[in-house]
Amino acid sequence: MADDIGGRFPDPHEYQVPPELEGWEEMYPSHYLFSKERETWEKQQFWYLDKIHAPEPMPPLDLIFQEAWQISLSQYTTRVFCIPPAQGIAQRMVGCYMYICAIAPPPDEVIAEKAEQFGKRVFYVFDHYDELWDKWLIKFKAIGKEMEAVEVPTELPKFVPEDQVIPAPTGCYVSYDILEAFDKVANQMIKAWQYHFEMLNLTYLAYLMFGDVSRKLFPGISESAIGKMVAGAYVSMFRPEEELCRLSRLAVSSRGVADILKSDMTVDQKKAELEKIPDGKHWLEEFEKASDPWFYVSCGSGWFHHEGSWLTQLDIPYSYIKSYVERLENGETIERSLDKLDKERDETVASYRELIKTDEDRKAFDEAYKTIRTIYRYAEDHLFWVEHWLHTIWFAKIRKFGKLLVNNGMINEVDDIFMFTRYEIPELLTELSTGWALGVDIPLRSDYYKAKVSKRRKILEAAGNWNPTPALGVPPAEVAEPFTIMLWGVTTDKVKEWLKGVGEVGGEGVSEIKGFASSAGVAEGPARVLRVLKDLVNLQPGEVLVCPTTNPSWAPVFTKIKGAVTDIGGLTSHAAIVCREYGIPSVTGTGVATSTIKTGDLVRVDGDTGVVTIVERAK
Amino acid sequence: MDYILNFEDLDKNSLPAVGGKNASLGEMIKAGTRVPPGFAVTTDSYLSFITQTGIKDTILNVLSNLDKDEVDSLNRTSESIQDLVLHATMPDEIQKAIAEGYARLCETCGVTDVQVAVRSSATAEDLPTASFAGQQDTYLCQSGAERIISSVRRCWASLFTPRAIDYRNKNNFPHEKVYISVGVQKMVNSRAAGVMFTLNPTNGDPSKVVIEGSWGLGETVVSGSVNPDKFVVDKVILETSEKTISAKHIKCVYDPAGEGTMDVDVEPEMQSRCCLEDREIKELVRIAKNIETHYGRPMDIEWAIDEDFSFPENIFIVQARPETVWSQRQKGPMIGTKSGYQLLMDQAMKRIKLQ
Repeated sequence: MADDIGGRFPDPHEYQVPPELEGWEEMYPSHYLFSKERETWEKQQFWYLDKIHAPEPMPPLDLIFQEAWQISLSQYTTRVFCIPPAQGIAQRMVGCYMYICAIAPPPDEVIAEKAEQFGKRVFYVFDHYDELWDKWLIKFKAIGKEMEAVEVPTELPKFVPEDQVIPAPTGCYVSYDILEAFDKVANQMIKAWQYHFEMLNLTYLAYLMFGDVSRKLFPGISESAIGKMVAGAYVSMFRPEEELCRLSRLAVSSRGVADILKSDMTVDQKKAELEKIPDGKHWLEEFEKASDPWFYVSCGSGWFHHEGSWLTQLDIPYSYIKSYVERLENGETIERSLDKLDKERDETVASYRELIKTDEDRKAFDEAYKTIRTIYRYAEDHLFWVEHWLHTIWFAKIRKFGKLLVNNGMINEVDDIFMFTRYEIPELLTELSTGWALGVDIPLRSDYYKAKVSKRRKILEAAGNWNPTPALGVPPAEVAEPFTIMLWGVTTDKVKEWLKGVGEVGGEGVSEIKGFASSAGVAEGPARVLRVLKDLVNLQPGEVLVCPTTNPSWAPVFTKIKGAVTDIGGLTSHAAIVCREYGIPSVTGTGVATSTIKTGDLVRVDGDTGVVTIVERAK
Repeated sequence: MDYILNFEDLDKNSLPAVGGKNASLGEMIKAGTRVPPGFAVTTDSYLSFITQTGIKDTILNVLSNLDKDEVDSLNRTSESIQDLVLHATMPDEIQKAIAEGYARLCETCGVTDVQVAVRSSATAEDLPTASFAGQQDTYLCQSGAERIISSVRRCWASLFTPRAIDYRNKNNFPHEKVYISVGVQKMVNSRAAGVMFTLNPTNGDPSKVVIEGSWGLGETVVSGSVNPDKFVVDKVILETSEKTISAKHIKCVYDPAGEGTMDVDVEPEMQSRCCLEDREIKELVRIAKNIETHYGRPMDIEWAIDEDFSFPENIFIVQARPETVWSQRQKGPMIGTKSGYQLLMDQAMKRIKLQ
């Protein structure tokens, strides 16, 4: 391996970033940088660009999720459930992009010890999955509620309120409260991300196992067939859309509500009009009820503060409701039939099962299937609660701190707070507290912070225009870590594909790109490149959607489009699942679709082979 | 006694009366498969013929005098018996039955003097599994009752080619227990044709139907004289996982001058065009699955698309036989008795090699 393709990826210690990115290192914790002390070890590893979690340059505060998962994902593999030959995944930042590496297996004696632990611990989880999930959800919701309850003052009072002094001084005041509040929410976020992986490593392991069993019995079975057998219909991730459908039906059966929702008014105007009529009031109450938790949905993957959520961009759920109401009035069905999906899945499984020749194999297949079905819904359920629900709460809370800093002149915009790391924000807050404590007319270093913000924004912008190498270091001879195999799909072919990408500029010259054949069929149509959900107002029926990734908040889009292409996501990604359900061809995980395809290009999506062809460039 | 039997009236139990090939056509119709229409001239016709004309005893006599190790003797014996079969007067009622069968077939197809293929189908009493593969004659593009009758007679005579006699001797099949039936079947005017398997012959995957096809008659695909188009389709989710369109330079067509076939060049613009429409592929897969279910085993199937009909009536199955390579190789379980936990542990210990 090393002789074959290794060495042709740049050495992580010699790789140069463009000069416009100068100073990028300050934006991240220092242990995220390739370093002299760890050079020997770092040079022996294989580092690849994590396009799934960090497809774009990383704003400093958004790194908190990555920081949390480096620990969490890794420890479940190495110290908690002990997947014998696997170790954790290490992260490094290079010019605002995140590179990750699946560490080589531990020594044999460690593997043996881990195998013993694995046997004891893992099977227990499968035997008790349902009750463990119930417990998980209770503690996870509690963390979200705690985070919501943390009070963040957006103004600093001239004097502390009297009730904090009489009858007895509370001892600590707003100057301390803001420091504690930030520590609290930051710690809650780190903690929530420890829960995120509680059963995910095992879910992926079980998925790989079922895939392997299926391939032994049916050597040519496609990933989409395996995905189809495994995917569940009744999962939290689909609830947001179901709630929209329910509200749309309610609107149609109420007096006067549908007409207001269909009108061209702004969301605020619509709400004001609805308030005026009894049925409208009731409908708004129902909307409120559904909102928590079901509209705590990020407009993107949930990993970046700038994506926004349904709560911060109410025009998104309202525009979906508008189109659902119109379709209902046309006599169309808007809901996915979950029973039908369940039935189809069961029939698919039964049909493959029937093709198995021996009773022994049929029994092994049943066992494998039972195992994956026990746990698989975790993959879809946790996603809603962590990346969408909790992240939405987090971003809202952090913006309160942003508001506080803006109100005190330390930064210009609320979102500027995301330009600082979680270690730097306490410094800003401490300086603010200090200034407040010192008295009136105390200067703060506003210019210092504002200059940092503006420099960092420039670096991020420059990084966005840069195409970093897909990988660094030496490809390993083997991989044992389940996420590396399943989520990032690291295979010989993938490494070769990355090698092709080294030094390649991409863009205009490319006429064909490859990804996962995740939903069968072939479709041709004009491309619509949507980088962010709010651009979706431009989408025309019959277009091919090209986007970085999709998530539940994109679901209503799928009834309009002919095909879908994503940069990120495998065969069980949201886009893949939904496209299979709607019978729309899709190719996911291309890595480069949004940077290669332009809106208006005529593209052909071949969901059978995973190839997207640019048939004709837009003029 | 039935001198002829329509394909629809046959099934696997008809084997002694009509031979394996014809019986399997009847069986396919039972399975709901469209096969080109036709009828079988039964083994009883053959037996009546050799008995009523009195040539039976002569034949057996000549055969018993054969010097098995002598090539010349084999050739002489074959020649004299074939001569007997070709020149003995065929009883009127047999001739009448064949002519009537042919007339009815013309009516079914709505064509006067419809072109048919006349194929022999040998069978051995008490030895239903005996294979006489490749020993039987086929006469293509025959039309008119008289031509058909003479082709039937030639098929009967083919039971006594030197090769057929020698094969029976070497395998200890008593000559008097080997009979012959003849199939008379509408010729498919095939736009495209080929074979398909109800498992993937390259890896034994039972969840796939693999279709290979090319322009014209299926002979180019069967003989391998053309790189066919290839489609691998999943039986359950009906996804096409592989689609290879080859440059198909030649195609096999009926020789307009004679009774045989010939290879002609394919027009350049057609060479790299896919020989099947998507809906035809779907229909072939559906048919393949039906046939496999009906026979309860993996099958190897020949198909043709008839230009004279429109979809889906244009799709005909010409032959179906059990797949043997993988079916014999894979006897035991692939995974074996393992619990979910064992499978999970196996997976956990796995390392994926990159190379």
